Amino acid sequence: MKRTPLQSLVLYAAVVLAVVLILFPVYWLLVTALSTTAELTVLPPNFWPEVPQVQTFSRVWAERPIPTWLLNSTLAALGSVSLSMVISVLAGYALSRFSVRGSQSMGIFILTAKMLPATLLVIPLFAIFRQIGLIGSLWSLVIAHSTLIIPFTTWMLKGYFDTIPRELEQAAMVDGCSPLGAMFRVVLPISTPGLAATSLYAFVLSWADYAYARTFLVNAPESWTANLGITTMRGEYTTEWNEVAAAAVFVAIPIMLIYIFLERYLVGGLTAGAEK
Amino acid sequence: MAHISIKDVSKSYGALQVLKPFSLEVEDGEFLVLVGPSGCGKSTMLKILAGLEPASDGQIFIGDREVTDLAPGDRDIAMVFQNYALYPHLTVRQNIGFGLKMRGMSATDIEARVQTAAKTLAVDAYLDRKPKDLSGGQRQRVALGRAIVREPRAFLMDEPLSNLDAKLRVHMRAEISALHKRVGVTTVYVTHDQVEAMTMADRVVIMRNGEIQQIAAPDVLFQRPDNLFVASFIGSPGMNLLRAKVQNGTVEIFGQRVAVAATVEDGTPVIAGLRPEYLQLGTGAVSFTVRPSLVESLGSEKYVYFDGGQQAFIHGDDADENSKGLIARVSHSGGLAEGEELTLSFNPEDLHLFDAKTERAIRS
Repeated sequence: MKRTPLQSLVLYAAVVLAVVLILFPVYWLLVTALSTTAELTVLPPNFWPEVPQVQTFSRVWAERPIPTWLLNSTLAALGSVSLSMVISVLAGYALSRFSVRGSQSMGIFILTAKMLPATLLVIPLFAIFRQIGLIGSLWSLVIAHSTLIIPFTTWMLKGYFDTIPRELEQAAMVDGCSPLGAMFRVVLPISTPGLAATSLYAFVLSWADYAYARTFLVNAPESWTANLGITTMRGEYTTEWNEVAAAAVFVAIPIMLIYIFLERYLVGGLTAGAEK
Repeated sequence: MAHISIKDVSKSYGALQVLKPFSLEVEDGEFLVLVGPSGCGKSTMLKILAGLEPASDGQIFIGDREVTDLAPGDRDIAMVFQNYALYPHLTVRQNIGFGLKMRGMSATDIEARVQTAAKTLAVDAYLDRKPKDLSGGQRQRVALGRAIVREPRAFLMDEPLSNLDAKLRVHMRAEISALHKRVGVTTVYVTHDQVEAMTMADRVVIMRNGEIQQIAAPDVLFQRPDNLFVASFIGSPGMNLLRAKVQNGTVEIFGQRVAVAATVEDGTPVIAGLRPEYLQLGTGAVSFTVRPSLVESLGSEKYVYFDGGQQAFIHGDDADENSKGLIARVSHSGGLAEGEELTLSFNPEDLHLFDAKTERAIRS
C-alpha cells in the first residue's frame, strides 16, 4: 500500500523522535565528558561546551585504572558468554530435536528464572559463593551472569534450531557423521547468525551488570568491573561528572564496536526465526 | 551393489503402530518404488532402512550383512532427500565430497571422485558455488552427485522430485532412471506420485496405513490389482467402481447383464471396476448410452464424465477425485457436447471384480 504524504510525514516524524530519544543520552554523555565542571552546573544548560575538554579523557585514563576495569569486564563477559553458549547450545539443540515429555512446561520453567529480579537471586548466590570461596573473584560474576543468560539464550537458540531442517543432520549422518558430529559440522556452522545474536545478548547482559558485581566484588578492587569502578568515582562531597562521563564513554566504546561488527549477523539472527 | 532384505520390520510410537510387520526383498540392482498416500508409512520405512529411525521390531540386511542396529553412516547407503538437504555453508564441491571426507579419504582422491560425479551429473561448472546460487534442478543434481560419489551399495530416495516444477520433474525423472541404468545401484525410491512409480520402477510396493497392499511390476499393478485400494490408487484417472450383485454368473453394469469370468456365489455383493481407458466411444461387446455431465479435452483425447447413478461406488480414499462421477478416457479429437447422448462400450474381459466386504480381487 502506498503511503500518502501526510502518513509519510507522521512516520518520519515518529522515526526522528525515536532516534532523538534514543541518541540524546549518548549525546549528553559526550557533552558532559567534554565540558568543564563549572559548565555542568549552569542553568540553562549548555548544549555544547565552549571549549571541548578532550584532555579529560586522557586524564581519566591515566588517573583511574580504566584498562583494568575494562579488562575485568571483558573477562567476566567472555567467561559468561563461553559458559552460557556451551550449555545453551547443547540444551537448545536437545529441546529442538528431541521430543521430551513436558518440554513445553520446561520452557516456561526455564524462563521463570529470567522473570525473577536480580536482587532476589543475589542473596542466595552470595551465600553459595561465600561458602565456596568465590566472593571477590571474577568467577562469581561468570557463574551468576550465566544463571541469568542461559535460560534466555537456550530458548533463543531452540527457536533458531527449529528453523533448520532436520534433513541436514540426517544427510550428514548418512554421510558418516555421528549425531554430535552432524551438530558440530553442519548445524552450528549454519547457525552463525543465531549464535552471534545470542552471544551478543549474553555479552551485553554481562557487560551491563552492576548489582552482582557490587555484591560479590566490592571488597576486591583488583577485580572491579567497569560499571562498578565508575560508581566508585563518586566523591563523598563532590563528583567530577565530566570524568565519570569520560569513563562511561570508554566503557561504551567496546560494546558499540561489537555491535557494529556483528550487526549483519545480529539482524539475520533476529529475523531468521520468523521464517517458519 | 547389494540386495536388501527387510524381515518383519515394524514401527510403533507408543500404542500407535505406523508400520505393521513389513517384509520385502529388493533384488541386487533393482529400482523399487514405495508408493502410497500421505501417512501410509513409506517414508518411515525408508528412514528405518537408512538407520535414521530405529525399527521397533524386525531385521534389515543389506547384502549379507545385518544392519538393523548400525548407524546410518555404517550402512554404506546414500540418501537423497525431498528438500535436497544440501549443506548451505559448503560449496557444491564440498557438498559432494563431504561423505568421502567423513570416511577419511585423501584430498586428491576426493577431488578425483567429485570431478567424475560432477561430470556425470553435469554440475562440474558449478563446483565452487554455494547451493543458494543454484536452481532447483541443479540442486537436485548436486544431491544426486553427493549420493553417487560414495559408490554406495544402495540408494535411498525420499520423494526427491516433489519440490520441482512439473516440467523439470519429468526431466529429472528420466535422468534418475538413466542414472540408475548407468550405475546399476539397488535403489529404493519413495513417492506419493503414482506416475513416478509407474514410469521409474522395476517393481512397485503399494502401501496404505502402514501395510503393504501389493508388490508387483507396474503393468501387473495396472492390469491385475489385488484389491480395491490398489485398483483405485493406480491409474489416472482412477478406476470406475460400481456396486453390483452376482446373479447366475453375471453382474448388472450400466443396465446390461455382463458375464463374469470368476465363479461367485449368487447374491454375493461385489464391486465391479472398469478402467476409464477401457471404455470406448461407439458400440462394442457391451454398449450403453450416457449423457456426459462434463467433457474435458486434452487435445487428442477426452475425459467424458457421466453419472453412475446409485450403482457408483466411491472408494473412501478417493472421495474428492470421484466426485465428478464416472469417467471414460476416449481417443477423440472432434467435438463432444455435454448433455448430448453418447454411446460407450467395453469388453467384459476388462471388468475387474472385488469382494464388497473384504475389498479383495475376485479372480477366476
